[in-house]
Parts: sequence; structure tokens; C-alpha cells
Amino acid sequence: MKDFKRKYILPILFTIIVTAVTTFLLAGINYLTTDAIALNEETTLRSTILYVFNIDYPSGDAKKIEEIFTQHVKSKEVGDKTIYYIEDRNEISAYAFPVDGVALWGSVHAYVAISSDYNEILGIDFVSQSETPGLGGRISEAWFKEQFRGLKLGDIQDGEYIVYRPAPGGNVDGISGATLTSNAIRELLNKGIYEFISEQRGL
Amino acid sequence: MDKKRVKQIFKSGIWDDNPVFRQVIGICSSLAVTNLLMSSLIMGLALTFVTAFSELTISIIRKFTPKHIRMVVQVLIISAFVIIVDIFLKAYYPEMSKALGPYVGLIITNCIIMGRCEAFAQSNPPISSFLDGIASGLGYTMVLLMIAFIRELMGFGSIFGIQLLGNWWTRWTIMVMPPSAFFIMGVIFWWARSKTEKKEEKKEGGKVTA
Repeated sequence: MKDFKRKYILPILFTIIVTAVTTFLLAGINYLTTDAIALNEETTLRSTILYVFNIDYPSGDAKKIEEIFTQHVKSKEVGDKTIYYIEDRNEISAYAFPVDGVALWGSVHAYVAISSDYNEILGIDFVSQSETPGLGGRISEAWFKEQFRGLKLGDIQDGEYIVYRPAPGGNVDGISGATLTSNAIRELLNKGIYEFISEQRGL
Repeated sequence: MDKKRVKQIFKSGIWDDNPVFRQVIGICSSLAVTNLLMSSLIMGLALTFVTAFSELTISIIRKFTPKHIRMVVQVLIISAFVIIVDIFLKAYYPEMSKALGPYVGLIITNCIIMGRCEAFAQSNPPISSFLDGIASGLGYTMVLLMIAFIRELMGFGSIFGIQLLGNWWTRWTIMVMPPSAFFIMGVIFWWARSKTEKKEEKKEGGKVTA
């Protein structure tokens, strides 16, 4: 009987106590930091939306970002997506919508803003991507994203909005040494923009 | 505790028994996060924190822990500290949390922590265990920073994100990719081992000192 206690009861009791203590500790820390983490995530999303709309914001200042965001940007639910828009004299002047897809190494989440007449890309930004740092990962660098500002969508019907130079009709530079990532990004942006415009026109 | 013991613990953790180039453990993350110095530094500090406090906790409860479930208890305590680091980074350093990605959670699988808990904290008093954790963590951080220094300088031309080499520098793409860590790590092992070669001959049989 004594052997049974030493072999089973004590270890089980000990494990339960250790588990309980660590769990309470973690639950407490989690409770204390939930707000900070939620705020960080929200700030990141807001910065992205402001960036694609080409609205200036002070980076790192969560309060100021929130202020500017609520002042300019409104949102609505369409299907299972949240679409953001800005108004100019009570008329919607631009939309920002999420575009998701798969690139070379993993999934890519991006936001694209286009004018409400569907004629112009205002900006793009990547929320998350896992491309090779220094190669495909350079899609997150400013020089790459800035190329899309003011890109004319015009009367293109077949969804080939973005074409890399030097192909005929090219309007954006891809990343040398990261052809697969560049192509994947082109495909997912073209597809995302095409789908958004057709959905909006269909509504 | 006397000064000699403290010095011995640190010397052993950082050089004589360095977890990376002497014990060859904790290699996975040394390869994964070392393309930027900042990520390497944060990773090293996170590991040092987890190792030190896990060793401290395990050493405090070592006398009450039933021997045959001690590994279960160790994993439990280590994972608790890893989650603390993860939450802390998410709340107060979100960019770094994003940059390190899954590797923060994977600190728990870093053999250094469990290795030190089992080899040292199980049989030593709390304060020396805590110091041993710090020493091992610093040894690991040191190697990470050495690899990251070479990789970031040649791959991005920068140090801690500050651009040092101008446009004339052709960035070595290979340095940004994981394989380069293998080469650099190999060279560092070679250099470190050649420095300690004589000692190795003396203690034939490869006795592992705790």
C-alpha cells in the first residue's frame, strides 16, 4: 500500500499541483496583456489600411493612428469580408479590400485600395507573408509597394492589370532573383482586384 | 557561494562547455533566426530568460519532485516560461514577435534548456542553477551573434539594421538564406575547437562535465 502511494498517488498529486500553479500564472499574465495585444493587432491593421489609402500617419503612435483612422475610414461587411472605404463629400471615393493567396513559400495576406470608379490602384500593402528575406521578402519593401500607387486599371477586361516590365504593356518592376514570388504576387493581385470589381459591379 | 564557483559556472557555460559549439545542441534555431542581428539578440535573450528561470524553479522543487516524473515536470515548467516570453513579445514588441514567428514557441524544443535542467538543475542548489542558466544562455547568444554578424553584414550590408556598406557592396543572397548558417557555423566550430584542442586530448573519453 505504501509502495502504491509512493508510485502513483504522490506523482499524480505533484503533477496536478504544478500544472495548476503554472496554469494560473499564465492565465493571469494572459489576462493582463490581452488588451495590449488586441491594441497592437488593431494598430497594425489600421496602419495597413491608412497606408493603402495613402493617408499619412505617425508610425508607432497607437492613439494618433486610431484618431486618424476613425476620422477618415469607414468599414462595412460584405459577405465574410470586411471592406474599408473613404468618403469624399458623402460619396465613397475609394475602397480597400483584403486579397489572400499563396506565393512561393506560404500564404500571403494583402490589402489593396482602388478608387471608387475602379480606374486606379491607390496602394497595396502586405499584412503577412513568409517569402525568403532579402529576395521574395522584398515585396514588403517600400520601393516595391510604392510602384502600385496610381497604377491605371483603365479598360482592361481580362484581369491582367499588373504586368511586369519588360513585357509589352508592363507597368511594374518585378524582383530579380525572386521570379516565382513576383509572379505569384502578380497573379493574386490581378485575381483579387478582378474579383472585387466584378463583385462590386454585380451588386 | 564563493566567487570561484561563479566564475567556473560562467566559464563553462560560455566557453568550455558552450552549448552550441561544444555540446552541439540548440542548432536548429541558430540556423533559423541568424540572418539579422536584432532577431538573434532577442532570441538569445529569450532563451537565456527561459533557461535561467526554468533551472531556478526546477532546482527549488528538485527535492520534492518524484524522480520518475521529473521530465514531465520539467517540460511543464519550461513551456510555462516560453509562453510568458511569447505573450510578452506579442504585447510589448509586436514587430519582433512577427519577425521571429514560430521560433518563439519553438524555444521549448531547444535542447539547451532541457539539457541544462536535467544535467545541472536536478543536482545543484537554486542560485548556482540560475547562474548556470544565464551562462548557458549567454554562450548560445554569443554564437548566434557571431553567425548573425557575418550573415547580416554580407547579406544586407548592415549591422543591427544600420546600413554600413553602400551601394558598391553586392549583397550575398546566400547569406540571407539558411544554408549559409551551416557554413559559418562550421567555420566557427572549427575555430573554437582548434582553440580547445589541447584540453580535449587531456580528458580522453569525452567526459561531460555538468
